[in-house]
Amino acid sequence: MKTCIACGMPMKNTSDFAMSDESKDYCVYCARPDGTMQSFDEKKENMTDFIIKTQGLAREAAESAALSMMKKLPHWKNHFD
Amino acid sequence: MTEKRQLQKAQTRERIIAAALKVYSEQGFSAPTAAIADEANVSHGSIFVHFPTVESLWLCLLENFSQDINAEFNSLSEYGNDIERLLERHIDVLIKHEDFYKRLVKEAVYLPEEEKNTFIAIQSMVSIHLLQALEREISRKVVKNVPPHMLFNTWLGLIHYYLLNGDLFAPQDSVLKRYKSALIECFLSLIKQ
Repeated sequence: MKTCIACGMPMKNTSDFAMSDESKDYCVYCARPDGTMQSFDEKKENMTDFIIKTQGLAREAAESAALSMMKKLPHWKNHFD
Repeated sequence: MTEKRQLQKAQTRERIIAAALKVYSEQGFSAPTAAIADEANVSHGSIFVHFPTVESLWLCLLENFSQDINAEFNSLSEYGNDIERLLERHIDVLIKHEDFYKRLVKEAVYLPEEEKNTFIAIQSMVSIHLLQALEREISRKVVKNVPPHMLFNTWLGLIHYYLLNGDLFAPQDSVLKRYKSALIECFLSLIKQ
């Protein structure tokens, strides 16, 4: 099973892939409306918002957690060097 | 390095991880590494060959826990939007790691930022699965229209309260095993319309 290179989410169903295209390496949540992949800042913002929505954390705590998650993904490695 | 030597090294690492899990679960994350070396029956120095810092050992345990939870929830899609089954599975996976999880809940606030963030990432993974199902039920007006994080935090709050007071609710026993049905029933009756 492929996992999204940008957020680590396992992509089990076709609908999990960006534009429902299984040849893509990133998921539907990491794609912009036109199907291209979100930038580092967009992804950070998105992940932060998701953590706030699901766990209700303060923005600064949620952003720190989002950055920690992104740091573990090879795709964003260059942003942390 | 010969194959035999590599195998021995991997086995020692596994022994250290198993020992650390036991020692930290029982004594807390401030337990001395010497206690882990004793439990694993390895020299004190060999811990640092595998884990240069105590933080890297904590992080390894958290990552293992995270992978296990992830694997459990990723095999769940067949239950669709059955919230009760999702809650059951959540408690089941926590029962497997009950002592370690209880320790995490108790001491997460004292852990360094990276470990704390890994714990948040673990909860984030759980929340994805639960909230997808809960939001579907909200739209069907089966579940009350409460903000998602409040639903999730209420569920965690129940579990954590019983875990932290396990000595009162289930002395010498698994509090999650004993209260699994009661916690699920209570949560569902609170959130359903």
